Amino acid sequence: MASEKERATPSRKSKASKSKDSILKQKSPAEFFSENKNIAGFDNPGKSLYTTVRELVENALDSAESIAKLPVIEVTIEEISKSKFNSMIGLLDRERLDEELYGDYETEKAREKRLAKEAREQEKQAKAAAAGKKVKDSNAVKLGKGRGEALFYKVTCKDNGRGMPNDDIPNMLGRVLSGTKYGLKQTRGKFGLGAKMALIWSKMSTGLPIDIWSATRGQSFISYCRLDINIHKNVPNVHIHEKRSNEEGWHGAEIQVTIEGNWTTYRSKIINYMRQMAVITPYAQFLFRFVAATPDKNISIRFARRTNVMPPAPAETKYHPSAVDLLLIKRLIAETLKQNLLQFLQHEFTSISKFYAERLIGEMGPEFTPKMPVKSLTAQQLVRIHQLFRQAKFGEPTGECLSPAGEYNLRLGIMKELHPDMVATYQGSVQVFEGHPFLVEAGLSLGGRDVKPGLNIFRFANRIPLLFEQGGDVVTRTATKRINWNSYKINQVQDKIGVFVSIVSTKIPFKGTGKEYIGDDIKEIASAVKSAIQQCCIQLKSKIVRQQQAHDRQQRKRNLSKYIPDVSRAIYGVLMEMADGQKSKKVKYDDDADDLLKKVALHQITESTFIQKLGQHVEQVDAEMALEYATQSGMVDTAREPIYLRTLESDYKFALELHNPVCVMKLFSDF
Amino acid sequence: MNVPFTHFYGSCLALAFAGYKDGILVDKQEEFQVLALHHPLGFSCRVSILLLMADKRKRATAENDSDEDDNGEQPMEAPRKQAQAALAFRKRLKPDNAILATVRKIADSAKSYKPQTQSLADLNLPNACKEVVDLSCASVMAEIEKTIINIARSILGGNGFGYSVPSRSSANQLYVQELDRIVLKDKASFRPFANMASVRKTTITTRILQLVHQLCKKQIHVTKRDLFYTDVKLFQEQGQSDSVLDDVSCMLGCTRSSLNVVASEKGVVVGRLVFVEDGDRIDCTKMGVGGKAIPPNIDKVKDMESDALFILLVEKDAAFMRLAEDRFYNRFPCVIITAKGQPDVATRLFLKKMKTDLKLPVLGLVDSDPYGLKILSVYMSGSKNMSYDSSNLTTPDIKWLGVRPSDLNKYKIPEQCRLPMTDQDIKTGKDLLEEDFIKKDPNWHKELEVMVKTKEKAEIQALSSFGFQYLSEVYLPMKLQERDWI
Repeated sequence: MASEKERATPSRKSKASKSKDSILKQKSPAEFFSENKNIAGFDNPGKSLYTTVRELVENALDSAESIAKLPVIEVTIEEISKSKFNSMIGLLDRERLDEELYGDYETEKAREKRLAKEAREQEKQAKAAAAGKKVKDSNAVKLGKGRGEALFYKVTCKDNGRGMPNDDIPNMLGRVLSGTKYGLKQTRGKFGLGAKMALIWSKMSTGLPIDIWSATRGQSFISYCRLDINIHKNVPNVHIHEKRSNEEGWHGAEIQVTIEGNWTTYRSKIINYMRQMAVITPYAQFLFRFVAATPDKNISIRFARRTNVMPPAPAETKYHPSAVDLLLIKRLIAETLKQNLLQFLQHEFTSISKFYAERLIGEMGPEFTPKMPVKSLTAQQLVRIHQLFRQAKFGEPTGECLSPAGEYNLRLGIMKELHPDMVATYQGSVQVFEGHPFLVEAGLSLGGRDVKPGLNIFRFANRIPLLFEQGGDVVTRTATKRINWNSYKINQVQDKIGVFVSIVSTKIPFKGTGKEYIGDDIKEIASAVKSAIQQCCIQLKSKIVRQQQAHDRQQRKRNLSKYIPDVSRAIYGVLMEMADGQKSKKVKYDDDADDLLKKVALHQITESTFIQKLGQHVEQVDAEMALEYATQSGMVDTAREPIYLRTLESDYKFALELHNPVCVMKLFSDF
Repeated sequence: MNVPFTHFYGSCLALAFAGYKDGILVDKQEEFQVLALHHPLGFSCRVSILLLMADKRKRATAENDSDEDDNGEQPMEAPRKQAQAALAFRKRLKPDNAILATVRKIADSAKSYKPQTQSLADLNLPNACKEVVDLSCASVMAEIEKTIINIARSILGGNGFGYSVPSRSSANQLYVQELDRIVLKDKASFRPFANMASVRKTTITTRILQLVHQLCKKQIHVTKRDLFYTDVKLFQEQGQSDSVLDDVSCMLGCTRSSLNVVASEKGVVVGRLVFVEDGDRIDCTKMGVGGKAIPPNIDKVKDMESDALFILLVEKDAAFMRLAEDRFYNRFPCVIITAKGQPDVATRLFLKKMKTDLKLPVLGLVDSDPYGLKILSVYMSGSKNMSYDSSNLTTPDIKWLGVRPSDLNKYKIPEQCRLPMTDQDIKTGKDLLEEDFIKKDPNWHKELEVMVKTKEKAEIQALSSFGFQYLSEVYLPMKLQERDWI
């Protein structure tokens, strides 16, 4: 990303130099992002609010996980009315003097129109009410917000993570593109902008600084810092930086930022995000609160912790030779501590052993030797190395550096948030695209609370939910187009299907400017996603079939009995005709038939005889089938699910043992 | 031309009037047969009404055609060139007499040709096959009664019951090269009553057996739709009663016509053919432009006579109408027959009867697309659904006259009349290439390959781009003159 930005900045410079002749302007990274804020997901106030929340939450998770602490995260969004905002920035509320000056001034004509319309509405409603229909509460006529009527929110995110060292706080938050996450590993962040972009946005929309409270573990004080950013210089501008007492021994960070946003339009997105985050991170506890200007719109959602098992933190890894470009090789050479070429190749890349490095150097040409100092390589020689990296064959990178959520966690997450009737999970093996290892996990749920009928797709990349631009995503396309749900006895339209796919990699091949979806063009990923979903389907199919069987078993007798009268009537009808024919001596039948027909003629055998006999037969068959079913699958009607009981401490006294075929129960004696 | 038209309108009105007066409201096709049997005016009136309907349809298609032509905005040059091309072919036409001479030759050779009288039994095939025969009403009744008695006994014995039904799935079908038709192998499945999967079919089968028993006893015929309506509640959809009906005829070992259940009439015939239907003498040259509806009950068709030289089998109504209106059969003595798409049993039986009784060559005129070929294959080798009765239904040795894929270039059909084949078409075409009945004739195979390769199809109507009467006045005579069939 850093290189991309470097490239982007000069191009803007040249443009500027053309239009403004000789005035050469330098643009800081912070300036670049403030002008292109849509790249980082700050397209509009609503999206900005959403992105701010997610950046803060993801930072908090990373921070807690980095010290192997179960995350506890509190997010609060507080709505700030205009007058409150004005008082915050020390601006007096002014009465409107010249009403006609404002954009939302209602002219006489418009007013008449509106009143007429409202009268019509009311009439309609009165009619509807008279007709006994439910009256929709459309009275809340939305008064169009005029221009400049911005909405402000104070977003606070508090975690129990690593915290920031006192002296680093200004630089960690006040300088764009300075970060701790630039190594090669599986990370949650997308650009390494995180909270900094939120800071730029607050600077742009409200001009208010951000507040940070932070303490590292075992630190006796809390650092408090209030700062904003000097966008032109890309340096922090510290207002207050002081130490406060830390009596509770808290560690972690709390960041508070006041920004312009739009809660109404992005409410569902933000809540969805929190919910999906809870699915993929069941070991974290989230508390999400929205404090509205009017208390009746307050929201408070608690996503409880469901497990204590946390995936290991992703390990930093080295680059795979087929995944590097020329610039990256130069950077690695500049950073390396190794002296000669052989050591450089052996230690700075994965999948190159010493023996292999020697072979590679031999292949490079006569001017290369294993002992040559790596920093002295010429530009041409680098190109040669790069070419060889492209052409040579290397072992595939291992996936040891990856940290998937794990089937266990994914399953718990799905169960905890959706409460489905059935769930299946599957973790694929590590695979590789373009030298980057990746791993696909999938979960599939059927039924559940608040789940719409049809496919509900939940996408995760490096354990963060993806909510936007679902249409082009590899998971959506695979689930809707390439899976034949019918063959797994799943009805794509009626069943409540939840598809959860989590992809983790050292490099997620995002598409689109906002990095909101994973392209469908990498066939390794597409096929891994497909097979992971299919594996889940196979697991569910057997369960569904067994449920179906159990259901059929209950229905069998009823369904079979339904047809008995039709059949009996038809058979008896033919027999009657035959008996009539026999009476009039028109036709002769053989002896056995003759006997039967006589009984029919004498009404010894009637329609009800057949009904009775068939009914008995159906009963008998049903009983046989039920017995067969029971011997096959035990007496349970639904698919078996294991349950887990916690063991008790040993200091209880038991009185009685109650025996039954399933288990033994003991009663406590001293309660 | 004009005289029959007014005459027909007159009689149609008369019938409509009579119908209303008698309180018989005629709006469904399957009611016609009953009307023909019982109405005092007899069935000549019925034909008129059908004609009226056919006429309406015809007009609609004609109007559509002309609309399309008007809308086609082409440069002025193109139509002129086409006209020239068409003219070029017209010039090459010899006088009718000369053409007739060539056709007569082929007709004579067809007369002397002895049809192979091989039957399944002669072949000693490795797997046993199931074939059905025509049975009289009494024998059908006897079969049904035997079945019912067995069932009744089984039920009274407390064992429930079920039917052993021959499987009509494609796995149980066999194409026999020597006979050039599909036959049914002897695999059968048992459908017990006390089973969730088969209880419905078994119940429907029992009910159909009872209904057919009644029909045979009273010796009357009904249509499949009539049968369905006798117990809509049980049958639910006509598809269900229809498919069980086929199962029943398979099970009893008789043809479907022996069950006294017929499909509503669909096919039409016109031309130099005279036959007797239920005692009425019918002259198919005097049937106007709509033709004579092919009777669903082939048993009542007798004494076929004809001075035709060939039978022209047409896929579609529109082409049939063109040929009938132009009185093509008077210029070149022939019988023209169509089933309006996929052929029904009655049309196939009728064609088979014409072919065996009159010994005429059969020329097929179908669309140049995979479905045209499929339709030809049904006439020739039978459909998979009715393979148990293929011996009665198939007419081997139909010549593919047109429109063949190679004709598109040969007759310079303009680009705008050719359609690109859809993916489905191409798939059907490729599947057909693997079918035995195409493979056995290298010429047919070659033509189909051309179609799949060029990915172009065209309908018979594409020939209308040279004028509506191009089909009857140039294309067909040219084909006959060149003996251009395979």
